[in-house]
Amino acid sequence: MQNATKMILSAPVCSLVREPALEPILKTENLWKVYRTGKVDVPALRGINVEIFPGEFVSVMGPSGCGKSTFLHVIGGLAQATKGHVLLDGNDLTGMTDAARTLLRRHKVGFVFQKFNLLPTLDAYHNIALAQHIHGDGFDPHRFEVVTKLLGLSDRLHHKPSELSGGEQQRVALARAIISEPKIVLADEPTGNLDTKTSETVLALLRQLNKELGQTIVMITHNPEAATYGNRVLHMRDGIVVDGPAVH
Amino acid sequence: MIGHLILRNAMHRPVRTAITVLAVAVEVMLVMIVVGLTSGLMYESAKRTEGIGADIMVQPPSASIFMAFSGAPMPISIGGKLLQLDYVHAVAPVLIQFNSVNGLDIVYGIQPDTFNAVSGGFVVRQGTELVGANDILVDDVYARAKKVKVGQTLHILEHDFRVAGIVEHGKGARLFVFMSTLQEMSGARDKASVFFIKCDRSDHTAAAVDEVHSLLPGYEVRPLKDFLSLMTSSSIPALGAFINVMIAIAVGIGFLVIFLSMYTTIIERTREIGVLKALGASKVYIVEIILSETTLLCLGGVACGIGLSYLVRMISLRIWPSLTILITPKWMLLSTLIAIVGGLLGAAYPAWLASRKDPVEALAYE
Repeated sequence: MQNATKMILSAPVCSLVREPALEPILKTENLWKVYRTGKVDVPALRGINVEIFPGEFVSVMGPSGCGKSTFLHVIGGLAQATKGHVLLDGNDLTGMTDAARTLLRRHKVGFVFQKFNLLPTLDAYHNIALAQHIHGDGFDPHRFEVVTKLLGLSDRLHHKPSELSGGEQQRVALARAIISEPKIVLADEPTGNLDTKTSETVLALLRQLNKELGQTIVMITHNPEAATYGNRVLHMRDGIVVDGPAVH
Repeated sequence: MIGHLILRNAMHRPVRTAITVLAVAVEVMLVMIVVGLTSGLMYESAKRTEGIGADIMVQPPSASIFMAFSGAPMPISIGGKLLQLDYVHAVAPVLIQFNSVNGLDIVYGIQPDTFNAVSGGFVVRQGTELVGANDILVDDVYARAKKVKVGQTLHILEHDFRVAGIVEHGKGARLFVFMSTLQEMSGARDKASVFFIKCDRSDHTAAAVDEVHSLLPGYEVRPLKDFLSLMTSSSIPALGAFINVMIAIAVGIGFLVIFLSMYTTIIERTREIGVLKALGASKVYIVEIILSETTLLCLGGVACGIGLSYLVRMISLRIWPSLTILITPKWMLLSTLIAIVGGLLGAAYPAWLASRKDPVEALAYE
């Protein structure tokens, strides 16, 4: 177990040049998540240690059931860790109350989901504006314009999700995730529901967001090709990271 | 933003929204019509009693303000004694009977000369005043409602009366017969239910009341100018309780419908709640959305309910012209409050449930 959970140092997919003093935006220490099913404990994460630095685009790969999504939920504050620590921008999520984690998600995390998860009753404009409203700093028209222009949504803003293609819906979800300038974007299989061509567009946009806005991104994917869009790949198996956990 | 969201949510499921609004509307209508009907009947009855034009009303000790409930225990000779008091100009004894054949009506047994002396006389629309012992006068509202014509026979109190005339409404009852006939029919020979007194001057009413109190200690002596204010639901035992029960039923309907509607809504929107939570929406924010949507539905229901109440009143008055349904701003406001409080209570549990949803489970909900 200890061997398995031990950090395995490996070279990143793409080399990053980073100042030695740079602090990780996300750091996990011996992170465990155990689900209880009836009377049986099912460990989904079994002691993960990773560091993700500002400006990184990290892909997380692994087979189904290896704990990728659980990892994303725990580092994003959606689920509580059973053991260990998650430090997000210096805040330890492990001991936080539900309300404190909610506040942290609001200000520091942006989520992108496989099924887009846009509110079906709202048009694209209001789906994006809702995130700003929940964030609480008021509507920022400049930021809104920059983001929607960057994602090519300017002329699709008044369409409801049901009137948008999958790619457009995912772009709206991307806009919603970054509109409030989160410290980190967590994308759970963002191309899982898209065809190859649209997937490439969305992945290219993610890379563009990372490069142009310096947005830190952690993306879960099954697709090795998609993983190459990131500048580092973490491989997970059976609840542990088996490859490429940190950049040194 | 929340306003936009709840409006869109409400429009997203138009049938659900319409049914919820309709249920709240029925709740509001139920409250307004029940209260409007009871208070309307009392108000109308009080206005008619006031319309007699008397200054004072004398009833036996402990008699109800609702005269039809009081029988006829006073000897008619009291009238003569009352007439001798200093400030009394005229006294009209009236025997009151409650008729339940072909509807619910109050019948006044009157002596035309004394009744006219107090009331200033009837305005006869058609026919004549009372002439024969079996004559009856009906007011114009009754005539219209029951399609009564002068000269026809009217079966009232198990007795056949000839309609002698149709008079203008507003003189106490809708049906008037000779007092002697009514006394004979009800076995109340030389008895009266109430004495209406006309003072020599209106400003002598208080002094006249004192005189009557001295003459008839313990009797109910009421100035008629106060009569309207006394005719409230609290004056009839159990009527207040009846209204409260009806309000409770109405609130129950609103509560259950809103509960069911919002419960279904939050189940249906589980994934959306998960998304809101992922975006960082607090429990208060989610509760606010659910309760705001409830308030919107309730307000829609209130608006429809008020409209529905007017519609029901209009239809009722066409069918039963003698009915009075009072729709007052006070009860509009109270019905609004009742609907909103009932609705919010109904939505409270679903809102609490939504706010406590686990975001991961909610996002995985299919």
